Amino acid sequence: MSLTQKGRWITLVALVSLAAVYVRALAFTPLERLQGPAQKIFYLHVPAAIWTEAAMILVGLAGIFYLFLKDSRLDRFAAASAEVGAVFATIVLTTGPIWGKPIWGTWWTWDARLTSTLLLFFLYVGYLLVRGAVRDPDLRARYAAVLGICGMCLVPFIHMSVYLFRTLHPQPIILKPSAPSLPSSMLVTWLFSLATFTLLYVGFVTQRYALSLQPDAHGEGSPGHV
Amino acid sequence: MSDVPQNAGYMMAAYVVTAVILVAYAVSLYRRANKP
Repeated sequence: MSLTQKGRWITLVALVSLAAVYVRALAFTPLERLQGPAQKIFYLHVPAAIWTEAAMILVGLAGIFYLFLKDSRLDRFAAASAEVGAVFATIVLTTGPIWGKPIWGTWWTWDARLTSTLLLFFLYVGYLLVRGAVRDPDLRARYAAVLGICGMCLVPFIHMSVYLFRTLHPQPIILKPSAPSLPSSMLVTWLFSLATFTLLYVGFVTQRYALSLQPDAHGEGSPGHV
Repeated sequence: MSDVPQNAGYMMAAYVVTAVILVAYAVSLYRRANKP
């Protein structure tokens, strides 16, 4: 079985799992009394946010190792992870405002968490634009590695921003030093969703990585050009 | 239950948008891999 086929199978399983997450979240998970149905956006928004940040950390780590080892597989992985991270960031930046409107009364506010997440999205876009703009593969990989390392450095700031600044964004209720502040039925749904997004990340990155191995995948003529 | 906010439309919008983005990206990967 080729890498592309493996990626497709993983993605297919992940999409079926996503459908099961929808059924569990919408039909079998209790309503939160204060926020109402809009609270259920949390089951998609938070796992997508975790993988948006994790994908950029992996882009940065791959960038660091690439600068030392000059292994093109690391560069290809970073490119794949960045593209998938940008997709997840798009989900975060659309589901967040959709939750914010009924709960905060506004689609958007320029607080530290939202603004830094938007900056991360722009870094993803910049990263992908740099890859498309630079023709020389070695130069492109080096520029991309540096940009990926910058993006990785932003991630801890995004996570800590709700502690460092007065923000409208809720404090972490799961990824915090003490026990998660969620009833077990909600926690199980959230963990199921996190596992599904993990599978989606693996499936998408596998397919995207396989795409970068195809000759002329982006009209640039040789394997490794992404 | 009457004091629970009635905002299911926002929830449905978020779930639809997420599904559309993920399926669209999956289709995009499939089509790019099969491009002649």
